[in-house]
Amino acid sequence: MPATGNVPVDGSKTKTNMGSETYFANIAGRDFQIEILSETEVIVNGTLRKIDYHTLKGGSSCSLLVDGKSFEPNTFQENGGWEILLSGRKYSVQVEDERERQLRLASGESSPQQGRYVLYSPMPGLVIDIPVKEGDQVQQGDVLVILESMKMQNELLAPRAGKVSRIQTTLNANVERKQALLTLE
Amino acid sequence: MFNKILIANRGEIAVRVIRSCREMGIKTVAVYSDADRHGLHVRYADEAYHLGPPKASESYLLADKIIQIAVDCGADAIHPGYGFLAERADFSQACLDNGITFIGPKPSAISAMGDKQIARETVKKAGVPVVPGTEGQGNLSDQALLKIAPEIGFPLLIKPSAGGGGKGMREVHQIGDMAGLLAASRREAESSFGDGNIYLEKLIRGARHIEIQILADQHGGVIHLGERECSIQRRHQKLLEEAPSPLIGSNQELREQMGQVAVQAARAVDYLNAGTIEFLVDGDLNYYFLEMNTRLQVEHPVTEAVTGIDIVKEQIRIAAGMPLQFKQEDIQLNGWAMECRINAEDPFQDFMPSTGVITQSLLPAGPGIRVDTGVYSGYEISAYYDALISKLIVHESNRTDTIARMSRALDEYRVIGIRTNIPFHQALLKNKDFLAGDFDTQFVQDGVLLRNEDQDDQCFPEIAALAAVLATHKRSQQSAVAIQGGMRNASNWKRASRWEQNKD
Repeated sequence: MPATGNVPVDGSKTKTNMGSETYFANIAGRDFQIEILSETEVIVNGTLRKIDYHTLKGGSSCSLLVDGKSFEPNTFQENGGWEILLSGRKYSVQVEDERERQLRLASGESSPQQGRYVLYSPMPGLVIDIPVKEGDQVQQGDVLVILESMKMQNELLAPRAGKVSRIQTTLNANVERKQALLTLE
Repeated sequence: MFNKILIANRGEIAVRVIRSCREMGIKTVAVYSDADRHGLHVRYADEAYHLGPPKASESYLLADKIIQIAVDCGADAIHPGYGFLAERADFSQACLDNGITFIGPKPSAISAMGDKQIARETVKKAGVPVVPGTEGQGNLSDQALLKIAPEIGFPLLIKPSAGGGGKGMREVHQIGDMAGLLAASRREAESSFGDGNIYLEKLIRGARHIEIQILADQHGGVIHLGERECSIQRRHQKLLEEAPSPLIGSNQELREQMGQVAVQAARAVDYLNAGTIEFLVDGDLNYYFLEMNTRLQVEHPVTEAVTGIDIVKEQIRIAAGMPLQFKQEDIQLNGWAMECRINAEDPFQDFMPSTGVITQSLLPAGPGIRVDTGVYSGYEISAYYDALISKLIVHESNRTDTIARMSRALDEYRVIGIRTNIPFHQALLKNKDFLAGDFDTQFVQDGVLLRNEDQDDQCFPEIAALAAVLATHKRSQQSAVAIQGGMRNASNWKRASRWEQNKD
């Protein structure tokens, strides 16, 4: 067994000659400070961990050994953050490096509930109904667009209340994944 | 016996049928749309012919073209699989007219069972109990349905007269919601089946969906192969099936009773070949006829596992005029089998369909595992067809060990590049009520919830955070290498290249 991780942090003891890099990860309000010392050593919230990280063929998957324990996280980039699938769970992770963190703290955090929301098509499909029109006031959960894909009708819902400022698609249009369909203000 | 069989389908079921044909020494013919040139069924078949553009209506639903291909290449039979042309009486008739054997029932039986209202009337006459509803009352207007609804009572279901698979179905809990739901149901039925006719049916609370597999030959022989439990559904789409049913379990008397009723229903329409009678069973073990599927079912492998019978081979033998090789008393259920439908959908995003290239597919294996699939690493999942990418079937001696084996298999299964519902199945198999066999058709809606980021032995937020950070770091190293060009920092280069060595 390699070191089990409760080794006190002491940067001077690490063997690397590279400059270490510190990142801040957040999962549902929980903060993780992770310092990458070398290819094989990281410090997670003050605890030294031995790691071995290999991305696998196909890109989004990797084999990650942490203090001898074997994990296979599946990594997707979504909405400016990461989505990690691991042992049947999904974790939404926001990652910043030190510079990004300083910038954000200096500018003050903005709330995602405000401002413009663009509804992007989550998949290729056929627009079979648009039950709203421009200028409509909608509530959270209202159906904005009905998209047919893989023989199923999928209702795309409003994530929050707002006014439909623009409809960027038409009935019976074939749309691509990530195509803008509609904008809420 | 047939010399050559054309399989009028795609995906896992076309591959499944090809496998039995090959084992029987029968040549196989695949057909494919533009989207399926790389499909496994095209690669496994002896011959393959192009149908047309990806849209089903311009490819897999072209009955005349498919029959012409069969005639031209000298196929003597057509296996329709499930979906597409499988339950089209006119297709069965056209095969007959062109001297090609349709591996399935006669057109008259497909018609009788295909119109669900006629089906219910027919089996009712044969003494089979049916669920209260507006069956057999013709195609009623919204106005008439709104008037009748309170007499049937809420909750109730709006169901399309044509088709199946849950498309167009809507649940109504109060009269106020009904007008909108009627419109939605008609719209979906019209777009899915080209027939906007609908009917109402009482929703039986706490009901389970249990179905009986039957086989009927051309010599009057009709047997049943026991039941399948199919209550684990979402939006009326089955997700997990097992045989036997935990509700029926060792109740051999009930199994035999339902089996005999199913045989009766099949005889009522002079049924031929493999078919399935679906029942709703309530908590008091009352059972009601729901519908008959006049074709091979997606979930047939669980029955194959517990009976040891290859249903596709039996279909082919029956179609070739051979008598059933089994009598009812020969059918013994051995152990327990379970199937998980692996769909290209994101269970964390309301089961939204997921399309794209499967960059890596690593199938589970080992004792008692079967995987039926039509996809592989490098295959692209398109939006044209349904989301089913594979069926994972396991067999063990009892339900507890079967669940343990299925959990193990799901943990081994890797599908990279698209989202799948594997995490849903993993969560379901840990659910206390599921483990106890205590569930109904509403179970998934009622909240087998994917648990995220909570605390148990399978929860690793720290590892997830680390994985995200390493992915971010790797990316910044790569872009640093790209920007720095020849001036790159040696240690950065070393890191980036090491982390890149296994990338394709």
